[in-house]
Amino acid sequence: MSQSSTPQLLRPAQQETTGTGRRVLLTTGSSDAHTWNLVHLQLFLEEHGHSVLNLGPCVPEKLLVDTAQLTRPDLVVFSSVNGHGHLDGLRAAEAMRAEAATRDIPMVIGGLLGISPEGAEERTADLLAAGFDEVHADGTGPAALLGKLATLDTSCPARVAA
Amino acid sequence: MTRAPSATHRAPVTDLGAYVRAAAAAGELVVQPRMGMARPEVMAAGVAAVAGLAERTVATITLDSYTRVGNHAAATAAVRANQPLNGFPIVSHGPRIAAEVAARAGEVPVQVRHGSADPMAIFRTMTAAGLGASEGGPVSYCLPYGRTPLAESIAAWRDSVRLLAEESRTNGVRAHLETFGGCMLGQLCPPSLLIAISALEALFFAQHGIGSVSLSYAQQTHHEQDAEALTALRILADELLPKEVDRHLVLYTYMGVFPRTVPGARLLLSRSAELAVRGGAERLIVKTEQEAHRIPTVEENLIALRGAAAQARRTRAELATEAARAARSERRGLRAVRPDAEEVLMEARALVTAVLSLSDNVGTALQRAFHRGVLDVPYCLHPDNRGATRGVITSDGRLRWAEVGAMPISSSNRTVPLTSARLAAMLRHVADDHDFDAQEAAASSEPAAETASETVVPLVRPAQQPAAEQRPLRIAVIGMGPRGLSVLERLVARAAEQPPRQPVAVHVIDPHDAGAGRIWRQDQSPHFLMNTAAKEVTMFSGDGDGGPARPGAGPSLAEWWAQTEPETADPEGFAPRVVYGRYLSFVFERIMMSLPAGLTVHRVRGQVLTADRLADPAEGVYRLRMSRGDVMNFDRLVLATGHPTNDLDCEQRNRAAFAAAHPPLQYIVGDSANDMPLSHIPAGAAVGVVGMGLTFYDLLAELTLGRGGKFVPSDDGLRYVASGKEPRILPASRGGIPLLTRGANQKGPLFRYSARLFTPARMAAVRERGPVDFHAQVLPWLMAEVNLVLLETRIKVAVNAAEAQAFVTRAVGELGCAELPELARLSELAARYCVDTTLITDLNRLARPFSGMRFGSPEEFRKTLAEWLRADLAEARLGNAEGPLKAAFDVLRDVRQTIRSVVDFGGLCPESHRRFLAEFNPVAALVSTGPPPLRSEQFLALVNAGILDPVGPQARFRTDEEHGCFTICSPQVESSRTRLDVLVDARIPSTDLRVGQDPLLRGLLADGVIRTFVNTWSDHAFNTGGLASTDAPFHPIRADDRIERTMHVIGIPSEHTRWFTQVGSGRPGPWGSFTRDADAIAGALLGTGSAAPAAGDPVSAGNAR
Repeated sequence: MSQSSTPQLLRPAQQETTGTGRRVLLTTGSSDAHTWNLVHLQLFLEEHGHSVLNLGPCVPEKLLVDTAQLTRPDLVVFSSVNGHGHLDGLRAAEAMRAEAATRDIPMVIGGLLGISPEGAEERTADLLAAGFDEVHADGTGPAALLGKLATLDTSCPARVAA
Repeated sequence: MTRAPSATHRAPVTDLGAYVRAAAAAGELVVQPRMGMARPEVMAAGVAAVAGLAERTVATITLDSYTRVGNHAAATAAVRANQPLNGFPIVSHGPRIAAEVAARAGEVPVQVRHGSADPMAIFRTMTAAGLGASEGGPVSYCLPYGRTPLAESIAAWRDSVRLLAEESRTNGVRAHLETFGGCMLGQLCPPSLLIAISALEALFFAQHGIGSVSLSYAQQTHHEQDAEALTALRILADELLPKEVDRHLVLYTYMGVFPRTVPGARLLLSRSAELAVRGGAERLIVKTEQEAHRIPTVEENLIALRGAAAQARRTRAELATEAARAARSERRGLRAVRPDAEEVLMEARALVTAVLSLSDNVGTALQRAFHRGVLDVPYCLHPDNRGATRGVITSDGRLRWAEVGAMPISSSNRTVPLTSARLAAMLRHVADDHDFDAQEAAASSEPAAETASETVVPLVRPAQQPAAEQRPLRIAVIGMGPRGLSVLERLVARAAEQPPRQPVAVHVIDPHDAGAGRIWRQDQSPHFLMNTAAKEVTMFSGDGDGGPARPGAGPSLAEWWAQTEPETADPEGFAPRVVYGRYLSFVFERIMMSLPAGLTVHRVRGQVLTADRLADPAEGVYRLRMSRGDVMNFDRLVLATGHPTNDLDCEQRNRAAFAAAHPPLQYIVGDSANDMPLSHIPAGAAVGVVGMGLTFYDLLAELTLGRGGKFVPSDDGLRYVASGKEPRILPASRGGIPLLTRGANQKGPLFRYSARLFTPARMAAVRERGPVDFHAQVLPWLMAEVNLVLLETRIKVAVNAAEAQAFVTRAVGELGCAELPELARLSELAARYCVDTTLITDLNRLARPFSGMRFGSPEEFRKTLAEWLRADLAEARLGNAEGPLKAAFDVLRDVRQTIRSVVDFGGLCPESHRRFLAEFNPVAALVSTGPPPLRSEQFLALVNAGILDPVGPQARFRTDEEHGCFTICSPQVESSRTRLDVLVDARIPSTDLRVGQDPLLRGLLADGVIRTFVNTWSDHAFNTGGLASTDAPFHPIRADDRIERTMHVIGIPSEHTRWFTQVGSGRPGPWGSFTRDADAIAGALLGTGSAAPAAGDPVSAGNAR
């Protein structure tokens, strides 16, 4: 599993979280090579007391599902900026929802999800239908995640399993 | 789709390397887009459009991201379903279609751009289509963009590169590969690592049979640093690559977050074209104005290509003009300023050397290098990258190392905790800067555009209103440290009191934070202290009045500090320099919030390179060229460039060369401790230090406190608890002593000393009589004043204040009416009070307390020095009002302005001026600019701890060829010869325009717009090296002796024409010269001050020759 380990500098300082801290699995599309969004989101979420496992760029659906099964995160954050986010995101959601162990893990997606603004509403509808809990339009700040993290049910079995 | 290659699908191929070489020979930059569309007919139209431009272009076929990651099935499915893709799926379309698309380029070369960690299928399809030019690299297309293990990528690239080389040879084509290593995540990777990876990838290509390569570099955050990087990349490539390998440099327009506005994006693009030409790149890959928002259209790409080519031609023409100017400078004996690629080259070379020492096979060496962290890309999430490094944008806009991990280079930057907000700000830095700059440029050129349109349609111009009045007066304040800020503060305060007659647009220009400038910038050690008490420092020209802080009324440093940082502030003491930096930024921000109608202020981050006189007065007077690449026109210039950086003198050059030839010996020279790579000094090294002034105290603090040491109270002052990381420090000064300790401050910030014997009136009379001999006519009165205070204080302490006053009255009465004061008479008058009547008669004696003494051992000298310093500290603790000695020395500070009134603008005769600067000036600094008592206590503690080891008087530094080191020894101290691992020159460079490195001042000097102040009397002349100027409002004097009324100079550049300009703050209460100078310039600029210097100013205009 050396593929999914994160480098030293950005490895979360602690896996355990305190109080309202949640465990976030941060991922992107299998075709998306961008990482600045991931580095920034990791720092942001950690500053707000959450623990982050960052899968890095070009995450195959299988790696996402396997890691989610293994680590049982409170939330999967899917961030994509290469314009293929709607296609990659659909496959990721379908893969997560197909497995019993990962079916109920909340998922949100955001970023530049299509190569042009046209069809944004349709893309959002497709992604919600595929199983994302929230779809954030391009330009949404990372603070939007905090609301979702705050509403997560603390009695979620995923936390106990960790 | 990837069936056996068939020779029938080949496109006619133009050799990319040869094409670029031919363009370079013709003096033209090759421009190229990034362009990829899914559908063949659309892609073909794009290729044809690019090839059809009049510019020298290379056409591009950029592949989609499914093809990039080898998911050809998904790409094929998307093509069949007519789903959009972000590039051309070359493998899905196959070689026949690829060849047809490429054929539309005609004679123009076509390059396939992809981003794949395993390009085998892509290269197979390409070669089957007859195409031979592509790009990428085993590192640059692996680490940043995916999760393929590095070892796999290196193996895949090795096989793919060999295939490309061989198949192309079979096709009769010379394959060309461009490294992508000059990009690495697009941002925040410092240039040295970019060019090292770029060069290593080129070597990798060459090792696997590629005969034509290009080395990439992506534009980063700083124009000059980028130009240096390109220069270094060229040198590195020539050092590494076999001679027969064809090569050129390719620049990428900024690859990070792009400006959001069209003008901002256009500005960044045109600066990249300028950079390509200035840095010597032969090819440029552009971005478009829409880059931040979406994938651009073909038409948008064409606009970008045309724009870049046009800018490249303009820059080339400007370079020719500059070359002519440089030739003119050379004739005048001035050296042209060239980009100094040394720093980035040394770092990159260290990286490349370390990598290549790991294996003869570049691929293997690269893999080992990343495994060991010898190469380590900042912020890269790839599992095979260590991730222990960090690049940051420093306050001057350069991209530098904050963390170097295990790489064989060092970092001298302090680490500020990385937060998501700071990362976001750094990622947006270039975008924000360009959006801002473009907006500013538009704002300041708007009226000009109106004028232009009115010229076209003259009927609408109102007859009574000439166009010139429409335009604001454009003022450039060059240098935004405390002096520039003082002028701005007075400009805004005056404009608020009385609206300017004409709109005024002020541009404040500095590469560092506005307000603080380089010396007070915020990324410096918290251990560096100011040497003026916080209470005596203000940047507002009036005290706070309860209203909001604004020009003319605001808090002093002490007031502001106590209010904003209550937990840490020590308003009674001396503030760290970073605190003053923050205060200066605060003052600047307050000024920006208080702008009155009719006055605008625009900040420009950058350095001014040249000022050219405009031929057409309607356009302005000067055209300034900025380091960031653009030009702006102005009507008035204020030169406030501050502390100079000078060429090394002969001795310094020899020392630098000796150190360079004898690694690991180090020679460090720089004007401020903050600009010295002190972190390079290893623990335990013997460090010689030339000079024991304020810079010495800074580096002492950084090498001890800055390395984790602590001072704790002990019975006799302080004790130093070492961290073990300290070097051993061996400082030397002419007298063997540090600066005298400043007396504990007992005077309020509003205290102003009123001299009794050394009066302004008396000195005015002295000056009136003609050229003055300082030592004969001025110094006796100054010493009389010093001794008057000495005895007065002794009497006040021993008897009472009334008797002290009686003594003063009698002494002034007796001495005051003589031609010259008789010092002995002071002793006689004081004798009746039964106090010590010894006088200070010889300042030189103070500076050389150990003159003529011999010491049997270094130990003996240290003991004597410690006793001397303890005695000095005891005097200092008595205070600057109650302590007789420190009160007397304080006179030298208090009467500075009276000394200036005699000395400035050619008051002294040449011989006396020379002697004044050589003898009086250093002694005055020694006794009146010293550090606070705390620093002297720390000095003693460090001597006791064995970390500080002052060498002795008249110490000499020599080179030791046998041991490859420097040595230091004092002829007055037996067995004091010591070998040094590091030599630091801690003397602050003095103003001398002839050796200063500021490109603007050099250019103005070469053009004769300014000249140095040559003090001339009958047949004596003394060239001081300072900038010659008039008295207030301080216009420079041209080489032909005319007054340059469109310019003003303030502060350190005019040192020697004036005396003691190294003052970085005003003082609360009545204005001193710091504020008066600024106000005089502000008044002249707004046309509301006293008239320009008229006949009453012959002192400077006439005598200063």
